[in-house]
Amino acid sequence: MMSQSLVMGPALPEILLAVLALAMLMLGVFRKGDTTALVGWIAVAGFAVAGVMTLMGSGHDTELAFGGQFINDGFARFTKVLVLLGTIMTTIMALSWMKREGEGRFEFPVLIILATVGMMMMISANSLMSLYMGLELQSLALYVIAAFQRDNLRSTEAGLKYFVLGSLASGLLLYGMSLVYGFAGTVSFDGLAEIANAGEVSTGVLVGIIFMVAGMAFKVSAVPFHMWTPDVYEGAPTPVTAFFATAPKIAALALFCRVMMGPFEAYAPQWQQVIVLISILSMVLGAFAAINQTNIKRMMAYSSIGHVGYALIGIAVGTTAGIQGVLIYLAIYLFMNVGAFTIILAMRQKGRAVENINDLAGLSKTNPLMAAAMTIFMFSMAGVPPLAGFYGKFFIFMSAMDAGLITLGVIGVLSSVVSAFYYIRLIKVMYFDDVVEPLDRLSGATQKAMLAISFVVILLFFLVPAPVVDGALAAAESLTGGTSALASSH
Amino acid sequence: MMYAAIVFLPLLGALIAGFGRHALGDKGSQWVTCTGLGIAALLSWYGFFEVAVVGNPTTVTLFTWVASGDLQFDWALKIDTLTAVMLIVVTTISFMVHIYSVGYMHHDPSVPRFMAYLSLFTFTMLMLVTADNLVQMFFGWEGVGLASYLLIGFWHEKPSANAAAIKAFVVNRVGDFGFSLGIFGVFVVFGTVGLDTIFAAAPQYADYMVTFFGVEWHAMTILCVLLFIGAMGKSAQLGLHTWLPDAMEGPTPVSALIHAATMVTAGVFMVARLSPLFVLSDTAMAIVTIVGASTAFFAATIGCVQNDIKRVIAYSTCSQLGYMFFALGVGAFGTGVFHLMTHAFFKALLFLGAGSVIHAMSDEQDMRRMGGIWKMVPWTYGFMWIGSWALMGLPPFSGYFSKDMILEVAFAADTGVGHYAFWLGIAAAAMTAFYSTRLILMTFHGKPRANEHVMGHVHESPWIMLAPLVVLALGAMIAGGVGAELFIGEGREHFWGEAVKDMAVTEHAHHVPGWVKLLPLVVTAAGIFLGWVFYSAKPKWPVRLAEAQPGIYTFLLNKWYFDELYDRIFIKPAFALGRAFWRGGDGALIDGIGPDGVASLTRSIAARFGRMQSGFLYHYAFAMIIGVAGIVTWFMVTSAGH
Amino acid sequence: MIVQGLIFYMLAAIMVASAFMVVTSRNPVHSVLWLILAFVNSAGLFLLLGAEFVAMLVVVVYVGAVAVLFLFVVMMLDINYLKVREGFLTYLPMGAALGVVLLCEIAVLAGGWTMAPEAMGLRAVPAPEPGTISNSQALGQVIYTDYVYLFQAAGLVLLVAMIGSIMLTHRSHPNVRRQKVADQIARRKERTLKLNKVPTGKGIS
Repeated sequence: MMSQSLVMGPALPEILLAVLALAMLMLGVFRKGDTTALVGWIAVAGFAVAGVMTLMGSGHDTELAFGGQFINDGFARFTKVLVLLGTIMTTIMALSWMKREGEGRFEFPVLIILATVGMMMMISANSLMSLYMGLELQSLALYVIAAFQRDNLRSTEAGLKYFVLGSLASGLLLYGMSLVYGFAGTVSFDGLAEIANAGEVSTGVLVGIIFMVAGMAFKVSAVPFHMWTPDVYEGAPTPVTAFFATAPKIAALALFCRVMMGPFEAYAPQWQQVIVLISILSMVLGAFAAINQTNIKRMMAYSSIGHVGYALIGIAVGTTAGIQGVLIYLAIYLFMNVGAFTIILAMRQKGRAVENINDLAGLSKTNPLMAAAMTIFMFSMAGVPPLAGFYGKFFIFMSAMDAGLITLGVIGVLSSVVSAFYYIRLIKVMYFDDVVEPLDRLSGATQKAMLAISFVVILLFFLVPAPVVDGALAAAESLTGGTSALASSH
Repeated sequence: MMYAAIVFLPLLGALIAGFGRHALGDKGSQWVTCTGLGIAALLSWYGFFEVAVVGNPTTVTLFTWVASGDLQFDWALKIDTLTAVMLIVVTTISFMVHIYSVGYMHHDPSVPRFMAYLSLFTFTMLMLVTADNLVQMFFGWEGVGLASYLLIGFWHEKPSANAAAIKAFVVNRVGDFGFSLGIFGVFVVFGTVGLDTIFAAAPQYADYMVTFFGVEWHAMTILCVLLFIGAMGKSAQLGLHTWLPDAMEGPTPVSALIHAATMVTAGVFMVARLSPLFVLSDTAMAIVTIVGASTAFFAATIGCVQNDIKRVIAYSTCSQLGYMFFALGVGAFGTGVFHLMTHAFFKALLFLGAGSVIHAMSDEQDMRRMGGIWKMVPWTYGFMWIGSWALMGLPPFSGYFSKDMILEVAFAADTGVGHYAFWLGIAAAAMTAFYSTRLILMTFHGKPRANEHVMGHVHESPWIMLAPLVVLALGAMIAGGVGAELFIGEGREHFWGEAVKDMAVTEHAHHVPGWVKLLPLVVTAAGIFLGWVFYSAKPKWPVRLAEAQPGIYTFLLNKWYFDELYDRIFIKPAFALGRAFWRGGDGALIDGIGPDGVASLTRSIAARFGRMQSGFLYHYAFAMIIGVAGIVTWFMVTSAGH
Repeated sequence: MIVQGLIFYMLAAIMVASAFMVVTSRNPVHSVLWLILAFVNSAGLFLLLGAEFVAMLVVVVYVGAVAVLFLFVVMMLDINYLKVREGFLTYLPMGAALGVVLLCEIAVLAGGWTMAPEAMGLRAVPAPEPGTISNSQALGQVIYTDYVYLFQAAGLVLLVAMIGSIMLTHRSHPNVRRQKVADQIARRKERTLKLNKVPTGKGIS
């Protein structure tokens, strides 16, 4: 018992990052002068090392650590690498932003590291308790980061709103967990799965699951728990928004997948309808509400709500193909968002940051490359083939059709048609409107590199989709055990 | 390898011209793209003989594309007779248009961009026609839509061009919606998207039923109707046709290539390609026939009164596409594709000829301000006559063979819808003759109606523009005569092989009564005569007629009020709704994007969502609690039933 | 058992009632006092479960520290209480309806509550037998072994909270002079004080 609970090999990347966070905190406190850049770059290196360690970590085996509270399987490795990639890219963005704005604070990278540890713990959670600890670690760090510009009213308001609503969501989650525990007498995912497979059902545990779904839906900002998203996205400093839109969202969706497909897989026929409902609401709201937005960060918030709706289709389907679709979607979504936010960060007029959609007017004339890149990202988000975004939707919709969730797939396709509208409007603004005030040119090699990477990935994904598609399949199989939970329940 | 070269040479040209435009300059980009297309065209002709004449269809697998679980498909080129025909049509006409553009666009500041777009379009179109699975076809399908969007809006300084480009894109998305649902449906039913597998399995599913929204449906009918909606969008059939005339805002070579010869025929191609599915559903075939015939008639009536030279030809395109569809609808797939091919030649000829006229008249497009120039532009004048004759279907020009055959198969089908199509087709043929004559007479004959300044500048186009016209004119003259034997005559079975599922109706068509064969010629002659009377002998008559029947005239002039109808049905109520729900909501469409009804409806919904986002914390928290309570209640109520 | 049951219901009832008073009382100071009462009752519930250590922790931490801190904050911040309660009546019907619906659902849940047959066997660490091992000893045995992962994670969460509160509130004022005790103690007479013998009538030059 004792030796088993002290197995910590599989959690080495997390341990490394946690220790790194402490060390960086010390470095920041005791070193004179502004240490943000130093701490930041060391953090980036740490993420890279953790990523490599995750990848190298013992092939395709499933390993448990800490007495079964921590699991490291193919699914965890895949999503952790995505999360770390997102964190690396957005941290680099944030560093160059802080340098330009002169707002550097060394706590920022430290908090990012701790948030990332939290995300990795969420992904690897194998019991309700470790799930909750990971989630809280991540959330608490994010609340603080959202309010990071403490002298900016909008930023502090964003942080406060996120905090209060997040606490409410945590409460819902905990209440749900307590119901589940009350039914099953265990918090371990394996134990829960065992009980579920034994065919025991009670309304209590199902309502508990619904409460848990509500709590997790808040974290992925799915309707009707999405209300914080537009305000926080708009209020938080732009690099923070970029971070929010990528890594935590991936981690939360991964957690969602794990919880629904792990302990509660056997209850799929019961919870499926709830996920379907949330998914439909998210897709529809994401498509319609974005249309009226004038602020590009707000628009991206609604766009992310819509994207979450599509990803949830994959969970609702509940098959290996569905989970694979979610993972592919997340991988592509990561690069689209990094690309789009690099451009949003680069939206500056005479050194002053702007964030209205109309400020992009005539970008094709003043900065054709930037406009071309943004066009690719927007078309990709709209799901226009052959760009990467099309694949994400394609696999998701295919899995839905395959599982007989035809109505869900049809609504998905319809709402993606509607959402194409506002993405194309952005392109129209860039290409056909007259320049009011030109944007400044891109500055900094890191920014250009980030743009180039995401541009190439999105544009040329269709040539070599295999690494992502196959990787996602292997990851999904490791989660679902290669079986289809719901061949066709309809 | 050769087939891969046909498809990818244009892409290569587009990339080089597009990204190297500063290095290459105008001349360089023109050379690169034209050479690429020229080689592709030569190879296509060779491939055509190899596949269609020798009878050697093949499938070239480029690489495995997606292989995951149930879903497996390759990136492959399926080359059979149907594809080979499309290849020669697309590459040849595209090559001619490329050369023509060298002359036509020489004033334009962004020549390399234009050439790159043209080549890009050609590539996507080739992708579409060579696809060996539906997903690949959908790629090409979206690609041509995108390229068309870029080219219609090429002169983006013109607001009307922008509006037209976006209108085309949005209307096409409506069609694509049907198409993508169709693809999903095919996957659900067949479990694959590969064409060969689908065709092999199709007969087993002839009576397959699916349950959807609680009702049983005949699977093939649903699939084919969905797919046909996609075809309607792309091929501008009745209801989804409104974008095509507006698309004439693009440069004329674009109209010739995309909106006459190739892209708009993608729908016809798709239906022909999927003929093994369509033949399984009588209902779907009937719908295709009715829509096609109605479009043929409807567009022809509008063509009779339009004054913009390009719009007349655009409506004529619409009408001819209708012919092709009802040919497909009665089961004569080979005949439809035959008309597709001949039409591509003479319609491209007409458009490029019209471009030459517009060029000569200092960018004037209104026929009421032309006239009396035939001596000054003899070559163009001659080519326009050839194109018009072919369009009217006078022997021995190409159109005669294909169009008459279409009317004969419609008659030979001997069904209700067949006769419907036949009689509307006859009426449309008469009107085609009328408006073609009218176009020629108004443009070239009579007294000059342009001002002296313009008349002084009228000049024949340079040889670089006339040379492609010569080639196309040759095609318009002989393609029908030469191809008739292969496409619809005795050799057709060997020629088509497995490519399309031609039905017995083609055979019956060769044995229709004599009057059926004669009737088109008679009404065409009548149409020409009437045109001559109205616009040459008695030019007062049309004016008097228009005054005597103002209702009909304005009805036609306003294109059957389709745009206004959409405005009424979608936009006005949406506005009213929007105002009622959201006072102070800006009613303006998205920056005046145009008569797109869905747009404003979405905006009013969007506004209501926006109002929910109040910014108050307790509203949000309240919404969350309501959400949880709602979901739990809903869940308990529904699960109580289990 | 009856006595235990009676005590349980008494504590629980007082706790729910005082929680209700926390949100409804007009004076914020009263709210905090009601909160303290709720905490004390929850400590009582823990005692009833045999978890003395946790019960004492609740009293020390929640009552002793957290609630008192709240009291300070409420007294220091001058909150316009009427303004906070604005709109209370507007939302009351809706909120009440929602509450009733949720309550009914929970009642239905509780009424039809079942446990998985395996549940009892799966419970990880049941409360120790009183008398064999003390509460804190039992906790000590598992916290650093079975639950070291969660314990460390909780540590990180607290660290984040600390970093966050410092980062959001701490401001360094370079112009403010602070008392530096070490410097004061280390001060020597020789370094600051110089005795000069001033000759009479010459002045200091």
